Amino acid sequence: METYVDATGVDTAATTTTETMGKQNKKKLNVMVAMDESKNSFYALEWAVEHLRDVISAEPETDQPGGLLTLVHVHPTYLQYIYPSGGTASAVYATDSVPESMKKAREESTAKLFTRSLEICRGKMVKTETMILEGDPKEMICQAVEQTHVDLLVVGSRGLGMIKRAFLGSVSDYCAQHAKCPILIVRPPRETSTTSK
Amino acid sequence: MATGEDQKPVMVVGIDESEQSTYALEWTLDRFFAPYAPNFPFKLFIVHAKPNAVSAVGLAGPGTAEVVPYVDANLKHIAARVIEMAKGICQSKSVHGAMFEVFEGDPRSILCDVVDKHHASLLVVGNHGYGAIKRAVLGSVSDYCAHHAHCSVMIVKKPKIKV
Repeated sequence: METYVDATGVDTAATTTTETMGKQNKKKLNVMVAMDESKNSFYALEWAVEHLRDVISAEPETDQPGGLLTLVHVHPTYLQYIYPSGGTASAVYATDSVPESMKKAREESTAKLFTRSLEICRGKMVKTETMILEGDPKEMICQAVEQTHVDLLVVGSRGLGMIKRAFLGSVSDYCAQHAKCPILIVRPPRETSTTSK
Repeated sequence: MATGEDQKPVMVVGIDESEQSTYALEWTLDRFFAPYAPNFPFKLFIVHAKPNAVSAVGLAGPGTAEVVPYVDANLKHIAARVIEMAKGICQSKSVHGAMFEVFEGDPRSILCDVVDKHHASLLVVGNHGYGAIKRAVLGSVSDYCAHHAHCSVMIVKKPKIKV
């Protein structure tokens, strides 16, 4: 539990309960946004930054520190990138060269993704951090939530219909059920949504 | 949708009599409304969907016609209590200007309809459903809303107490 020292140098943690309640109520949210390269996830970030601006931005007038916005991107596990070589039965390409170039390409695309994301967050008075994880996106996101104790997780939604969701799987579904914190699912704008009954 | 001077984005919070729902409302008010009085960032609608007595009793089997009025009265009683509690919570957090609405019918479609009616930007629900009697059958109203509402959905969960 951090102790806040306000403008007059008084340690506010030691003040009466009503005052600490007041400070605590003003605490800005720490929000985590799960990103991938899809359009919906950028839309989710934009939506979150716009609508949650009030609850995460720092307020310099009142000396109120802002919350933390964490952008997390999960790489699917490495093994998916390893293909059987030629016509041989071996499934694993032993040398380093293929993973190496894959890794480079991935790093580039991740860098691009975060550049774009940080562009969206620019000028909104909110401290932004990025996090890159590797593994199964659904599980890694829920783990990240647990480890960083964020107040809110924001995910985009592909707007898939029921059948597609059953086959393709849904990160937002999984996270809605398993994440340990409140979750905000941002729907794609109505014009581009393809959901049907 | 042009945002005029007075056009705050709309937030709809769906509630029932469950603890999770109360927690969701309190959490939302704590984080999104209480600290910003009197200029709340959202216009707030608090909605309770009263299950339809006939459909609720219909699960119980034949010969239940006499029971319906009692069930209906009970549900009305619960609805009143839920709204009272919600008003109490808003009062205690000094959140004014919230609108309270009660509708009768299936909570899932009601919540989605309310979102459309008020052009809400955000729908907030608790995690474990909605409606005492139908809870077992409904399974997840929050899940339905997350996929069918025409706005973003926030599912607030009551955290399990960790030692």
